[in-house]
Amino acid sequence: MAEGKELSTWLDNLLTELEGIEIRRKSSRRLRVDVAADALPALLELLRGRASYVHLSAISCVDWPQDRQFELVYHVWSYEMQSLVSAHTRIAREPGLYISVYDIYPPAAFFERDIHEMFGIFFEGSPDMSKFILTEWDGPPPMRKDFDSEAWVNEHFDWQDYNPVWLQELVAQGGGIAIRPDEQRFSRKAGDEPIEHAASGSASGNGGRQ
Amino acid sequence: MRPENYEAQRQPPSHEYELNIGPNHPGIEGNYAFKLRLHGDRVIEGRADAGYLHRGFEKLMEGRLWIQNLAITPRICVPDPVPMEVSYCLAVEDLCGLEVPKRAQYLRVLQLELSRLASHLFTFGGHAATTGMYSPSFWGVADRDLILDLFEELCGGRVYHIYNIPGGVRRDAPAGWIERVSDTVDYLETRLPDYDNLLFKNQVFVKRARDIGIISQEQALDWAVTGPNLRATGLAFDVRRDDPYLVYDELDFDIPTEHAGDAWARALVRRKELFESIKIVRQVLAKLTDIHGPIRCPIPNPLAWNVPAGSTFTRVESSKGELSWYVVSNGGERPYRTHVRGPSQMHAVQVLERLAVGARIEDVAQIMFSLDACPPEVDR
Repeated sequence: MAEGKELSTWLDNLLTELEGIEIRRKSSRRLRVDVAADALPALLELLRGRASYVHLSAISCVDWPQDRQFELVYHVWSYEMQSLVSAHTRIAREPGLYISVYDIYPPAAFFERDIHEMFGIFFEGSPDMSKFILTEWDGPPPMRKDFDSEAWVNEHFDWQDYNPVWLQELVAQGGGIAIRPDEQRFSRKAGDEPIEHAASGSASGNGGRQ
Repeated sequence: MRPENYEAQRQPPSHEYELNIGPNHPGIEGNYAFKLRLHGDRVIEGRADAGYLHRGFEKLMEGRLWIQNLAITPRICVPDPVPMEVSYCLAVEDLCGLEVPKRAQYLRVLQLELSRLASHLFTFGGHAATTGMYSPSFWGVADRDLILDLFEELCGGRVYHIYNIPGGVRRDAPAGWIERVSDTVDYLETRLPDYDNLLFKNQVFVKRARDIGIISQEQALDWAVTGPNLRATGLAFDVRRDDPYLVYDELDFDIPTEHAGDAWARALVRRKELFESIKIVRQVLAKLTDIHGPIRCPIPNPLAWNVPAGSTFTRVESSKGELSWYVVSNGGERPYRTHVRGPSQMHAVQVLERLAVGARIEDVAQIMFSLDACPPEVDR
């Protein structure tokens, strides 16, 4: 019942009522709509109120630092039309402010709170913008592309020697763990003293991967 | 949050008190806290407190190769890991335009349904335990273990299988495995009357579960409730039928519904789904004996795999509800962004907080378990 006439008349109505939106059909059940940030609430209201898209599946956020923009994607599903519309919009990365769609879709509260926590976008009108998952976190929003996990670890945590008894025994037998310097994922700060690994001495030459 | 960071209400009304449940408690299968404000035995307010299982998977996945992320995906939901793997693979396949061979699709459906069976068996046990009945949980976990044995034989892993890869599955079913699946499913079917007698006809359970945590259909649609919790309100919606993926449109199965929308109805829907899953497994087993051929389409070198730029939204029906991935690629060898939407993100937070209000304290754990929430899905 989703395909064909019903959907196309609905699409026509949508097109005539909103300006500056771009519609792309990805498959028979997937529709991509690109819309300006100020027109998105109107689009969602139309989708929910007049086109039976009552189920907000998710709100996804994508960081595009090179464009200085955040992309917000609202995925809404219609039980009657059996199709999913993904409404894409872009907002400025600074100051990262947008309007909540909680009054249209109540489930938005969770996703907006999550995006606020992970990307630092503030949603005006959302019922709860308090911390949820990262309760003890006071750093920058971690899901932003410019947040570097490795750098954060190097800056805030000390490196410790890892030298358990089993490894000492292994080293005594001539074995050990070998990590090539170029494979070490978490590179340490420049100018650090090299860590004396139990394995880094005699063992690194003959153990490990060949 | 850490106990030292917890701030009690400064001057609560004299008849109120606060109670922190969790992060470890019988109401949920993981670490998840729930903070209650009570008046006598009645809940005035409930606040979900997540984050105990946050491992930053979405960020981690941006730093790993497409193929490496397969090891992460099943860990997002421990009791029901297969839908996570499959939906991630569907997303990558959609971006690359890969055509998965028929046999692999049937093998995937088989896994999905076995995982659903295992997860529902686990949930029964937990739900019964919240009403003080422990035998069903022993039975449920013991029967679930038989399914885990099958998974172990198929791919070496009992809980985390990592059996799917983009383009198909890793290897074909071992010799004799199909027959063993058939035997196990036959055995499980003989157990269903036992479960009925032990739990579903047991007045202790029925009376405790009736009229607890009622969701009306209108509320369910408003709060984005999905899966068995939605079907318990009378709406026959199932992603498998209404937004089909893999070969579900070639299979014959019913979508059981109930109308009461309470904890009892939710348990009953899961009980009926056990039967439907067994039905699907049998059909798939019959097809697998006929359909031969490759189990995987050719894929590029997985260690140097640049997935074409684009974005995709895939969703599947997990045992808990709608599970979807939004995956963005910028043409690189690592995902640009992955976002997972688990059904529990709704069920364990907004829905639970609303249902708890007005409930009696002894029913809170049951409401939580009847929603079948999975904390790692919320935390990721």
